[in-house]
Amino acid sequence: MSPLPESKIAPAARRSKLAVRGVGKTFQFSGRETIEAVRGVSFDVMENEICALLGPSGCGKSTVLRMVAGLEEPTSGAMTLDGHRIEGPDKSRGMVFQAYTSFDWLTVQQNVEYGMRINKVPKTERKERAARFIDLVKLTRFRNAYPSQLSGGMRQRVAIARTLANDPSILLMDEPFGALDAETRWQMQELMVGIAETSQTTLLLVTHDLEEAIFLADRIVFMSRHPGTVRENLMVDFKKGRRFQSREQMIEAPGYYELEKKIMHLMRDESRRDADSAAGQAH
Amino acid sequence: MGPSVSGIASDRDGAAPLPAKPRARRIFEYKRAIPWTWALGLGISIWVLFFGLWEIASVRGWVNATFMPAPHTVLGTLYVMLAERAFLTDIMVSVYRIVVSFLAASAIAVPIGVLMGCFRVVDAFVNPFVAAWRYLPAPSFVPLLLMWFGAGEGSKLALLFIGVVFFLATLVMDHTRAVRTELIETGMTLGASRRQILRTVVVPAVLPNILISMRQMLAVSWTYLVIAEIVASTTGIGAVMMRGQRFLHVDEIMAGIVVIGVLGLAFDFLFRFAHRLLFPYLQRGNN
Ligand SMILES: Nc1ncnc2c1ncn2[C@@H]1O[C@H](COP(=O)(O)OP(=O)(O)OP(=O)(O)O)[C@@H](O)[C@H]1O
Ligand SMILES: [Mg+2]
Repeated sequence: MSPLPESKIAPAARRSKLAVRGVGKTFQFSGRETIEAVRGVSFDVMENEICALLGPSGCGKSTVLRMVAGLEEPTSGAMTLDGHRIEGPDKSRGMVFQAYTSFDWLTVQQNVEYGMRINKVPKTERKERAARFIDLVKLTRFRNAYPSQLSGGMRQRVAIARTLANDPSILLMDEPFGALDAETRWQMQELMVGIAETSQTTLLLVTHDLEEAIFLADRIVFMSRHPGTVRENLMVDFKKGRRFQSREQMIEAPGYYELEKKIMHLMRDESRRDADSAAGQAH
Repeated sequence: MGPSVSGIASDRDGAAPLPAKPRARRIFEYKRAIPWTWALGLGISIWVLFFGLWEIASVRGWVNATFMPAPHTVLGTLYVMLAERAFLTDIMVSVYRIVVSFLAASAIAVPIGVLMGCFRVVDAFVNPFVAAWRYLPAPSFVPLLLMWFGAGEGSKLALLFIGVVFFLATLVMDHTRAVRTELIETGMTLGASRRQILRTVVVPAVLPNILISMRQMLAVSWTYLVIAEIVASTTGIGAVMMRGQRFLHVDEIMAGIVVIGVLGLAFDFLFRFAHRLLFPYLQRGNN
């Protein structure tokens, strides 16, 4: 792993928020069987940055994200958030999962208030914050509805509002829009850009959707598998520090195709390597 | 239905609006909800049919009236028993045994089942014990219980308790295990402690299924009640039925069965009602 070219990563004004340093994870099965899921993973996420973890299925994206969340313990290496070592899950790293995680027994309002209630935020502030974040995800009309009365996209918005209202230091998302249809997914991505701007959130997002990564991210960490390692750490330079409000804007921007082609190339290369190693094993 | 009512197509482009044509309701539809009037009517009809056939069979003499008295005889006997022989007291005794033993069993089984479903250490410690007891038929303890508790209430309550508690704990454990990990992990990344997660995530998530398990186990509880009262009691519905058998009063036995059936239905209804009342968020609109 070569050191990251610091100057290319971000304007000097930005501080590193999340630092992942040489993190590895080996899963132990019963007996002596082990799987090395990721090895020597290092990258940074800057303050207010949107960073996408991209890579083929099984390269360890979820494993890395879960370790950042504190839901999984790394076998080697270390991670810090705002300079503090990450140990176990807490409210500084809120996570949105691909599967719906709305609490079915609570209304939308109560769902969004959940984290604040756990953390003893005073009632008036709690109500006010919840209302603000419900408005941000455009669910004000449904604040008294139960999740079972909502569509998949709406439920995911509840989860996003619930996590953000809890004021995490970084928002973690694992393929949050993977279960949605294409149109809803675009809407959610565009909404997410707006939310990131409004709430000044630092976001680490796992996806295997190339266009989603380019549209949302300021930085793309491309991973490669067997075992999972960081293959490229790409700045999405063609955006020139702006974020697009719609996908049309992105597609028309100069430089978009070059980046997409470059990443596609990486992906192709990954599958070729897989095919080669499979053939190698066969002989 | 006129075009003004259908409101489907706009005829701005000149096309005639297509009137909505509701398809005639078919009787057999996969998994489709039916009107409550149908449900009520159908539920009553099966009983009318059952008693009707039975009545006809008795009146026509197709069955021996001594062993199979007609429904109207049974109902008549039931009335006499209630009015003149204080059958109601026996019924209340049986209901009391069910309720007390069932509440005690639930108070133990539900928390243990939830903890077993949550924590592997509790599971590893308790399950070998619970699993073994589950395979022992509760009635096999009757002789023992009679020796320990005598012929008093204790032996019946103990039998009902043993018959329910291990099964209920296992059911609750399975349901608790099925609570999705993502829900628990969501709670963790929102800053909830393990204790808070138990109280605010796991328990609310599993509660509807706990109530369903309790409803199922209550039916089992009735089985043990009758066994207990038949073998070791002078009071209660089972004991009355046993006396009926001794004097060849088949109508009294059947009256007992009818009462147990009616009570079973009533308790079942109570549980369903509580389920609807407690968990309004599980209700979805039809269609
Ligand atoms: N709890 C676990 N126990 C054992 N192995 C695991 C566990 N979680 C992940 N793995 C293994 O680690 C590797 C990486 O898995 P991971 O879920 O992180 O991949 P991913 O990049 O998120 O894939 P996808 O895009 O399909 O979600 C896989 O080989 C997987 O089998
Ligand atoms: Mg994954």
